Amino acid sequence: MTATVDAPRGATPPAPRHPPAGRSPKRRVKGALTPWLMLTPGILLFAVFMAAPIFYTLLLSFQKEQVKGLGLGGDSRTREFAGLENYVATFSDPEFLASVARVLLYGLILVPTMLGLALLFALLLDARRTGAKGFSRVSIFLPYAVPAVISSLLWGFLYLPAVSPFYWIFEQLGWDDVPSLLSPGLVVFAIANIGLWGGVGFNMIVMYTSLKAVPSDIYEAARIDGASEVQIAWRIKVPIIMPALIMTALFSMIATLQVFAEPTTLRPLTNSLSTSWSPLMFVYRDAFTRDDIYSAAATSIIIALATFAISFLFLRVVQRRAFGQED
Amino acid sequence: MRSTIRMGAVAAIAAAALIMTGCSADGASEGTADDPIELTYWAWAPNLDKVVDLWNEEHPEIQVTVNKQDGGDPAITKLLTAIKAGSGAPDLIQAEYQKIPTLVASDALADIAESVGDDVAGQFPEGVWQSVTLGSDAVYAVPQDTGPMMFFYRADLFEQYGLTVPTTWDEYAETARALHAADPTKYLGTFSANDAGWFAGLSQQAKAEWWSIDGDSWGVGIDEEPTQKVAEYWGGLVAEGAIDNKPMYTPEWNAALNDGSQAGWLGAVWGPGVLSGNAADTAGLWEAATLPTWDGDVSNGNWGGSSTAVTSQSKNVDAATEFATWLNTDPEAVAALVEQTGIYPAATDAAASILTEAPEFFSNQPDFYDVAAEAAQAVAPFTYGPNVNVAFSAYNDEFAKAAEAKSVDAFLAAVTAMQKTTIDDLKAGGFSVSE
Amino acid sequence: MTVTTETRAALVPELSGTAGRRAPKDTRVPVAVGSTAVLLLGAVYCLLPVAWVLIASTKDASELFSTFTFAPSTHLWDNIVDLTAYRDGLYWRWMLNTALYAGVGAVISTYISALSGYALAKYVFPGKATVFRILLMGVLVPGVILAIPQYLLLAQVGLTNTYWSVLLPQLISPYGIYLARIYAAAAVPTDIIESARTEGARELFIFHRIALPMMGPGLVTIFLFQFVAVWNNFMLPYIMLGDDRLFPITVGLSGLLNQGASLPSMYTLVITGALLSIVPLIALFLVLQRYWRVDLAAGAVKA
Repeated sequence: MTATVDAPRGATPPAPRHPPAGRSPKRRVKGALTPWLMLTPGILLFAVFMAAPIFYTLLLSFQKEQVKGLGLGGDSRTREFAGLENYVATFSDPEFLASVARVLLYGLILVPTMLGLALLFALLLDARRTGAKGFSRVSIFLPYAVPAVISSLLWGFLYLPAVSPFYWIFEQLGWDDVPSLLSPGLVVFAIANIGLWGGVGFNMIVMYTSLKAVPSDIYEAARIDGASEVQIAWRIKVPIIMPALIMTALFSMIATLQVFAEPTTLRPLTNSLSTSWSPLMFVYRDAFTRDDIYSAAATSIIIALATFAISFLFLRVVQRRAFGQED
Repeated sequence: MRSTIRMGAVAAIAAAALIMTGCSADGASEGTADDPIELTYWAWAPNLDKVVDLWNEEHPEIQVTVNKQDGGDPAITKLLTAIKAGSGAPDLIQAEYQKIPTLVASDALADIAESVGDDVAGQFPEGVWQSVTLGSDAVYAVPQDTGPMMFFYRADLFEQYGLTVPTTWDEYAETARALHAADPTKYLGTFSANDAGWFAGLSQQAKAEWWSIDGDSWGVGIDEEPTQKVAEYWGGLVAEGAIDNKPMYTPEWNAALNDGSQAGWLGAVWGPGVLSGNAADTAGLWEAATLPTWDGDVSNGNWGGSSTAVTSQSKNVDAATEFATWLNTDPEAVAALVEQTGIYPAATDAAASILTEAPEFFSNQPDFYDVAAEAAQAVAPFTYGPNVNVAFSAYNDEFAKAAEAKSVDAFLAAVTAMQKTTIDDLKAGGFSVSE
Repeated sequence: MTVTTETRAALVPELSGTAGRRAPKDTRVPVAVGSTAVLLLGAVYCLLPVAWVLIASTKDASELFSTFTFAPSTHLWDNIVDLTAYRDGLYWRWMLNTALYAGVGAVISTYISALSGYALAKYVFPGKATVFRILLMGVLVPGVILAIPQYLLLAQVGLTNTYWSVLLPQLISPYGIYLARIYAAAAVPTDIIESARTEGARELFIFHRIALPMMGPGLVTIFLFQFVAVWNNFMLPYIMLGDDRLFPITVGLSGLLNQGASLPSMYTLVITGALLSIVPLIALFLVLQRYWRVDLAAGAVKA
């Protein structure tokens, strides 16, 4: 990649390079220049709005701000080099470690449930004898369109005992002592439910599309052999769409690590959510509530690296397999 | 296509340049009707733009635009980010009193001591004025409103259950127990772990000093007798279940105010607006009293209240100060503030002449503003420090745990944790702290 | 037919006429009650909160907290009128802003993704793998983390609190480029490009007139992805914008919600606003739903 990260205005295109002489792809000169031209807008925008901010974050993460005395004068603040201080502080903060543990639990609840249900719905949509397919497919997919801020608000209303229809049902059933759905023991399920609601439809569509790509004559043979629909689903369909399942699992895991909007929106409604409930809330609190963007930058870098590590497998799978057949 | 890309880039630069010059063009300090000074004002008080319209009509040479904000915290967050970035801040901002030390420490506010008139200070109570000067010669804002705390209760339910209005905290506890015993679905109040300002007000009433300036150092006194007393008291009530432990300002709390499960509320003078918006059908059923006292010792705390500050990025400090002064001291402006935004003005004399009739929601209590004035006079002094945000978010986290744990020990532990978090943060930032 | 490690894991649009298409059903079978019921249960679960908004938006402020949750009332029109009256129709301006950020932004973003993806899929040039790998890493960076440094950098050129500050950072979509590369590889046969070249067509002519239409269905998917991503991105506009006339709908509603804390009548406005904001999205989804076919394993059966 050409060095465009330091182009501040995002306006100077990188100088296109000619390929080294002697190589002979199909269209030597023009063929080497054209792809770079086509990539220019993408690379420029990437450099300015993604690479530069990431490098800036990295820079900030090694700094800190110090004040003198009461800190009330205009010039009492100085920016200093902090080395790894901010990183050490994050790793030794029990609040941060607790937030990591919480999202791990959250992911453990959400990802299998969401993918399991998505798979179930996808298989049912693909099964020959299921009815109401069109309606169900659109309905289940619909929540994907609702922004997390709004869906959390909706569910928040549905969770609070005084305004919740669920509690009305519990009352009719004679269950008087149902704890609040947002009580400390249940709140992680309440948040996972919002994630499930928003995500199950998307994953269902991914799996369903994958199922549709399989020619039905494969199943016919199995049917002739006397296999039941369930057996066909479990023995043939699931293995066929395994790559799709792996991909959705990886994407879901990445999203899990980044949970932010749901707990942030629900927090004012309950005593069960702290301002550092998830790692990204921890970052947000440092950056905005505590006005310490340096610590926030260090924690951001840690989260990004963890995401990279987890996604490493994903990247390798994608790169090796997806593009093997290109020119 | 190549030329298209170039055209796009040129267009983007041109657009950026246009916007940039638009932002920084006016260097003039005198505005005229043809070429007015344009000021931006970040504020969240409802309908404030309608009050500002009055100014704009009368002052064609200084035009103020209100940019409505989500609330006190988000507005300050954005301002601090803009200060750090070096551009993007408005000329004026609505700043709560507890935010002023933080803003001053971040060099976000202009010192308006030289532009503000000599007669302005005298129009505000001394304690309020001190919170915009931080006890120095500088002036960082013009006070707008205050929030002396008050006790609101459902007079009809008190009558139904034969309760009397508590005047001390001991009586409040007994009343709470009696009400909850008479009807287990009802509570006299709730301990809200979400509202640090509320707890700060209650501690202020008990004469707590969360921050203090000791020469060139900050003192932090959260984990001391007054606040411990308040925490122990509320921890006890929550532990025995005499009051609720859910946060205020949730749909659930709204529903409880509507149906009478919350039969009382420790609010502040701006409470009528909240109650009328929330439980309109209960109009005329509520009455207001001064806060219960600690063994008859007359004192009060503040919850809320804000000022109008000029930011350090403003290029028109004089014009901005002129506007801020007008907004908060001019009789016409103050009257409009009361009518449009429902605030309780900080300017004492102006307030007395305007606030003669009780708010509509409290039309059953003609002496509402006499009670409010009594509450306002009793407010104890209180100093906020440069890291109120940290202390307040520690309050949220620690007291949320304590409210769920429902034990006195947990409440006291929360106070200790608040103290530690606040001091650690000051030290980490390099502030000198006296122990 | 092997479905082992040889399978390509990729997001590929379903292309009509490819070998993967299943033959149309030739026999009608009776509907199974059990599986239909499970599917409908899922649908009900997903529709429940939507039904709640629909009903809640018919209530006035005091009914919202005092009547049974699913008991409808008659104030929907009043609420819409109130919402429209709020600060002289600001809500509708938020709608238009959202259309600009999400709609125009997603169109431009899709074009840029298509251009980049096509270049990566159909050309051989040094550095290609590196460029792609770096772009792909962008998929993994959360927007929340980017928003703060993006703000600080845009503030250097005075662009914060403008339409540009929300529009520009969201024109780049590494995920879109990733998808576009796969779509281009799958949908645009190399021999067609080659024969166009032999006939003397210029490279960009080939891209615009031949490749782009072939990538069409895939590009609609990229558009929808990016549209939803921008629509959902709360943090960026929240940090960038101070002037509420520039807000998209999510930031505007969240602001109303915050005010709802001290001014509870705002809750009805928020709920009505939420309902109205979902309507255009539902419409968009229904119209474009046949493009929502995200295939992670097309090519499996070709192996």
